Amino acid sequence: MAEEKADRFPDPHDFKVPKELEGWEEMYPSHYLFSKDRGEWEKQQFWYLDKIHAPEPMPPLDLIFQEAWQISLSQYTTRVFCIPPAQGIAQRMVGGYMYICAIAPPPEEVIKEKAELFGKRVFYVFDHYDELWDKWLTKFKVLGKEMAAVVVPSDLPKFVPEDQVIPAPTGCYVSYDLIAAFDKLVNQMFKGWQYHFEMLNLTYLAYLMFADVVRKLFPGISESAIGKMVAGAYVSMFRPEEELCSLARLATSLRGVSDILKSDRTAKQKIAELDKTPDGRQWLDQFNKAKDPWFFVSCGSGWLHYEGSWINSPDIPYGYIKNYVERLEKGEKIERSLDNIDKQRDAIVAEYVGLIKTDEDRTAFNNAYNTIRTIYRYAEDHLFWVEHWFHTIWFDKIRNFGKLLVKAGMIEDVDDIFMFNRYEIPELLTEVATGWALGVNIPMRGSYYKAKAQKRRKILDAAKKWIPTPALGVPPEEVAEPFTIMLWGITTDKVKEWLKGMKAPTVGDISEIKGFASSAGVAEGPARVLRLLKEISNLKPGEIIVCPTTNPSWAPVFTQIKAAVTDIGGLTSHAAIVCREYGVPSVTGTGVATTVIKTGDIIRVDGDTGVVKIVKRAK
Amino acid sequence: MTEDEMNYVLNLKDLDKKAISVVGGKNASLGEMIKAGIHVPPGFAVTTDCYLKFISETGIDDKIYETLKDVQPEDVSSLDRASERIKACIQEGSISGDIREAIEYGYLGLCRACAVADVPVAVRSSATAEDLPTASFAGQQDTYLWIQGVYNVISHVQSCWASLFTPRAIAYRIKNQFPHEKVFISVGVQKMVNSRTAGVLFTLNPTNGDPSKVVIEGSWGLGETVVSGSVNPDRFVVDKVIMEASVKEISAKHIECVFDVKEGRVINANVDPKRQCTCCLQDEEIRELVKIAKHIEKHYGCPMDIEWAIDADLGFPESIFIVQARPETVWSRRKAESVIGKKSGYDLLMEQAMKRIRIPQ
Repeated sequence: MAEEKADRFPDPHDFKVPKELEGWEEMYPSHYLFSKDRGEWEKQQFWYLDKIHAPEPMPPLDLIFQEAWQISLSQYTTRVFCIPPAQGIAQRMVGGYMYICAIAPPPEEVIKEKAELFGKRVFYVFDHYDELWDKWLTKFKVLGKEMAAVVVPSDLPKFVPEDQVIPAPTGCYVSYDLIAAFDKLVNQMFKGWQYHFEMLNLTYLAYLMFADVVRKLFPGISESAIGKMVAGAYVSMFRPEEELCSLARLATSLRGVSDILKSDRTAKQKIAELDKTPDGRQWLDQFNKAKDPWFFVSCGSGWLHYEGSWINSPDIPYGYIKNYVERLEKGEKIERSLDNIDKQRDAIVAEYVGLIKTDEDRTAFNNAYNTIRTIYRYAEDHLFWVEHWFHTIWFDKIRNFGKLLVKAGMIEDVDDIFMFNRYEIPELLTEVATGWALGVNIPMRGSYYKAKAQKRRKILDAAKKWIPTPALGVPPEEVAEPFTIMLWGITTDKVKEWLKGMKAPTVGDISEIKGFASSAGVAEGPARVLRLLKEISNLKPGEIIVCPTTNPSWAPVFTQIKAAVTDIGGLTSHAAIVCREYGVPSVTGTGVATTVIKTGDIIRVDGDTGVVKIVKRAK
Repeated sequence: MTEDEMNYVLNLKDLDKKAISVVGGKNASLGEMIKAGIHVPPGFAVTTDCYLKFISETGIDDKIYETLKDVQPEDVSSLDRASERIKACIQEGSISGDIREAIEYGYLGLCRACAVADVPVAVRSSATAEDLPTASFAGQQDTYLWIQGVYNVISHVQSCWASLFTPRAIAYRIKNQFPHEKVFISVGVQKMVNSRTAGVLFTLNPTNGDPSKVVIEGSWGLGETVVSGSVNPDRFVVDKVIMEASVKEISAKHIECVFDVKEGRVINANVDPKRQCTCCLQDEEIRELVKIAKHIEKHYGCPMDIEWAIDADLGFPESIFIVQARPETVWSRRKAESVIGKKSGYDLLMEQAMKRIRIPQ
């Protein structure tokens, strides 16, 4: 690797992963592997590590979300809205990590055809956005409810119940339901992800257009200024936190509730305690009303089964509420004034408009601005509904299958089900169904699957300790794919930085890293590296979080941290938005922060310039 | 004090841009800023009337016009000779009682206002044809720093008067057909800022004309090192609207212009190596400077070029002073042309959709 020329990354076909990862390939479907039969094409492409969607080694079943977006994101660009020179994003797995590639533009005649369709189809969406959004949300909620309603058999009964046989036989039984239910969930997940991109590609395209107009008018404008102009305050992703604030307020107006919430007991104990008094019950009632959908927020990105959600990690929301109640009692204000945020945004835009010199430019700016504002809410809102609410429902359903498989002796732990990919699980379920159908005392291959799950866990653990190469293949000559530019911030500089990183002798020698200046301000303090999202409980007030990406469900944490640094994420990434909202300095998209910085290092985060300095290494 | 004497010296805070003919551009601008609520060091202007009174009652005026009558701007030695002669006349000319009294009145008033005896002042010329956007005479007259005591103030006022007749100034006026007798000079006497950090700023980015930026350049000590380009200053590019710095360049600022007590004058001292690369401005100072810059730009209604200083003895934000402001000349003169053109949201979207970003290999 060290001998690689500076202008390219390793050939994906020659790339060797550490020995401890041996056998990783079997976890994923074959089209996810770099393969000799597609070798000529694959080695000419540029593959970079996707830390937004796959910050951690990928558990086999969690790959379903990636599979789904590879298809959906790409099809909207290539076949639905037809962004002329852009093609899709391809994915590959290496050693448990996902690499993605924005495919080079198609031949000129295809671009021409697409341009025509683009004009016809895209503008319609902008003209009818509000109506389309309402329809979108309605159908998405229906889909989520349908998924929640899928019945996963909890048992395989000794004999099928009487009412299924006479007087009207159902004709198909649990052996069928089992497999049908899983298929249904898979199909619903794919459908949800088809919906996910319904307007997202266009939103990103519009954002890039607006950013370009602004940069022409104000050549040195920062990405964070552009972000501030378009970001909205009334965003679904912030609702969970708002609900917590109002629950905290309610608590202070009820008798005895605050004291229970402030105590050091577990959430479960608190709930039992609250249930004893009328005021407590009133509060619990309110909590339960807010729960669906708002507390279906993931504790992480929503992409990995082990992140958990507020609904199945109640200590997290109860911990936040404790903090809010205490602050309320000290007379502090806990809510962010959303009206003010909106007003501030409008004031910022007005001030920039005031600096534009000609009427023609002012009109063009307003046209561009109205175009992005029409649709930007989509970028902010779809996230909660898909990655958080919908995924949380999915994980819950899958765990029901896990329970059944444990009962059937096929796996050791409920979560071992995530060690099998979506093509393998029907195999396990079919075996369970077959065993049940065959009668009693039928031997099953439980030990085979248990060993497999264990082996895969070991591989994934080893992969966590491995630092994957940032990219593979040949850097591209041009990029037209809007997600690549916007979400991953893939720019010439980024690629150069990575190439530099390839040759960096050791991590300890690096004392300064660069990223996007995504939220202004400067802060110095001890770093807390959270490579795994669940490590958040280690975080102490006044620390600076360093993580692959941050997430809005951590929102209440942002009042306690000094700054945030991420590996991946442009200026409109979720991390950047939240940090600006909370006035916390941040540098995003450093590529290497979680690798270079260690917990306890004293670091200086300059959110104005995008530089993170390691002031003093931890002993 | 007689009425005449009252017209010889005017407090800066009583001035505005209408006073340009009697106090010159620089002084009028300072007065204008004080009126607009900008923090400017206190001081007074010695008016053009005072200068006229001096050259007429001493008969120096006739000598000047006589001497300059036949001077050719290309003839360097005759230019030099004429300059020397006139400057000597002005420098050595005896000041009458009423002028002396007026300046003394102004200076002692300033000492009282500052509650410092022999308050150190900056004595600067402020020419009446100077600082107009179309005819920048900037830098053609002299500045004297850290002057203390009435005697020294008066003598440096005379030096400023004399600076109207440097060979360069004479040549410039002849070339540009400014009649010598129409160019009068006023002098500004202003409390010295005990400058910890000073420099210049522009209310647009002078490199690309970006109107959304304030560009600040600063260095240790007095601003002279920045203005003259004798140090590489620290450089900050700050967005006017969201008030974030997009560039913060810290340079090795090897010298600083400071007052040397032993020598009794301003010198360029070496900066110790550790402080050289320390940022010369605090974040709050940068933000405050940007706020002031926006205020001044708004007041004048055009992009501005501003000199500022931060006093070591005062607490923030009282420590921040504006010592000079003039219209920016390069970008202001350009005709405003549309950058985007006449385009609808859809035109722009289509354009974006067709775009490919090249990544050079």
